[in-house]
Amino acid sequence: MSFRYTMMGAAIGLFVFYFGLLLSLFSFVHGGGFWSALTNPYTLFSIQLSLITATAATFFALVIGLPAAYALSRFEFPGKRILDTFLEIPMIISPIALGASLLVFFNTPLGEIIQRKGVFFVFEVPGIVLAQFATIAGLTTRLMKVSLDEISPRYEAVARSLGSSPWKAFSKITLPLALRGLLASVILAWAKALGEFGATVMVAGAMPGKTETMPIAIYTALSSANIDKTVVLILILALFGLGTLYGARLTGKRFRYD
Amino acid sequence: MIKIEGLTILVESFKIKDLDIAIDEGGFHFLLGPTGSGKTLILESIMGLHKPRGGKIWVGDREVQNLPPERREISYVPQDLALFPHLTVKENILYGIHARNLNPAVYKDYVRSLIEVMRVDHLLERYPANLSGGEKKRTALLRALAPRPKLLLLDEPLSGLDPSMKIEIQHLLKTLHASFHPTTLCVTHDFEEAYFLGDEITICIDGKVEQAGKKNDVFLRPRSKKVAQFLGARNLFKAKVLDKDESEQRWILGVNGLYFSVPESSCLNSTGIGKDVDLFIRSEEVMIIRDGKSVKDSLKRNIFEGEIIDIIDKGRYSVIYFQSTEGKILFEISIPNYAFRNLELSVGKGIKAALREESLWVMT
Repeated sequence: MSFRYTMMGAAIGLFVFYFGLLLSLFSFVHGGGFWSALTNPYTLFSIQLSLITATAATFFALVIGLPAAYALSRFEFPGKRILDTFLEIPMIISPIALGASLLVFFNTPLGEIIQRKGVFFVFEVPGIVLAQFATIAGLTTRLMKVSLDEISPRYEAVARSLGSSPWKAFSKITLPLALRGLLASVILAWAKALGEFGATVMVAGAMPGKTETMPIAIYTALSSANIDKTVVLILILALFGLGTLYGARLTGKRFRYD
Repeated sequence: MIKIEGLTILVESFKIKDLDIAIDEGGFHFLLGPTGSGKTLILESIMGLHKPRGGKIWVGDREVQNLPPERREISYVPQDLALFPHLTVKENILYGIHARNLNPAVYKDYVRSLIEVMRVDHLLERYPANLSGGEKKRTALLRALAPRPKLLLLDEPLSGLDPSMKIEIQHLLKTLHASFHPTTLCVTHDFEEAYFLGDEITICIDGKVEQAGKKNDVFLRPRSKKVAQFLGARNLFKAKVLDKDESEQRWILGVNGLYFSVPESSCLNSTGIGKDVDLFIRSEEVMIIRDGKSVKDSLKRNIFEGEIIDIIDKGRYSVIYFQSTEGKILFEISIPNYAFRNLELSVGKGIKAALREESLWVMT
């Protein structure tokens, strides 16, 4: 087999594998059961909860991750390499371990003070946001850093020599130039937060109508042999996920100035 | 007036120590140094990107070394130009005026005349990605000049251009400077560029200022062999002081049995008879004597007979390799091609070469 067809065969094989998985779901779709599972208030709640918490977690990851990514991309400071390595934590320990760490933290004196005086996280909606944030913040920061690395610091240097403050140079020059990459990072982070299970179930539990996000609802539905609900939720999750990822691809389209 | 005094910079492995530069208002000053000698680092420190370890920078009567770049009124054109790709040429040009909150109406005529001189009127709505190399250079220069900076910093402005474009931009820079008189500090490794454009030159090698002064002084009278070699000196000979004629204030030097008569004013420092010195003359300062033509007084004392070993045509000028009969000393002679054609020279031909005595230079 030629080199070209071997490589393409591998790519097509992967597509067939994933597409086949999704396609197999339809063999369990039966008109009435599908519709009632979709319109079930608990299903709708888990969809709504997932969308809200994933958006909130992504927002926080962006607000904290963007300055952190900028600092890692542009400045030299003590401990930079250690910090950079720590961004990998969510990728090297499993989400369950990450969620368990959060749970343990809230049982320390500091964690208890936060819960008593501030926001209650354990088995509450803010806990979902925190668990999703913990899972995506490192990845989002790393992706945004890559986008910022691609923009030469010389643009900002010139902007500053022309009279811009560091904030203005960042907002007028670096931000628009890195926008494509930053947008793609945010979209990927949102898709990952939407599908987050392990950390969320550890911190917030699996209470239908309270802390049950879509991935958790899939798990509980399958545990109770509710195949219709399982399939509906998987398809919706896949739809949202693929939709956002396609959006991320669109951000890669050429701008007017390219 | 721009004054840099004792500037000391230490960034990673680069160290620049006690850099002094003074540029008169409207002057064109070149900082010349080999590639990798930290020239860009110096510009970035003057601009405010790196905090110097010591020294002072005055822009007019303001001391700016502790100010952030945006408050120094120093515009910077980096080697890669860094035109903002998401802004049109017009937006790039006006960026500094907006960033400094200047009144565009006040700058309108000035910017208009800059645009005319730089010939970018037809490019204003284009994005940098759609410009040629020369157009990008012109836009970057214009953007830097538009807010009327107190100092313009240029980093290798002619790098990356093809020869014809290089000549065009070189002339444009000259016209621009003659028309608008921006006080300019330009770094380059190209001494021909510095000679063509600069008023004054500072030579910086290995993080140290080796020489500074008027361009002719630096080119014809290098302070050291290191500077002479960096400036592309070809006719650099190890000589010995054989005698001194106190009455005529001249030194007699010997190189491999060939004698040179050098006025004392062409010697860097005094030294004793028998000492070793370096004798230097630029290849443009060696003349070929035509038979039957009268010889100027300044050429009469150092005329040598010899033979042409090789001729290389460099396009605008020719380089002639001439070997003296006595001492077998090899001289390099540069002659513009229009003059070369009249001389009817060929390899193997016997000729006489004369050294312009005010251009001889002895380093002790």
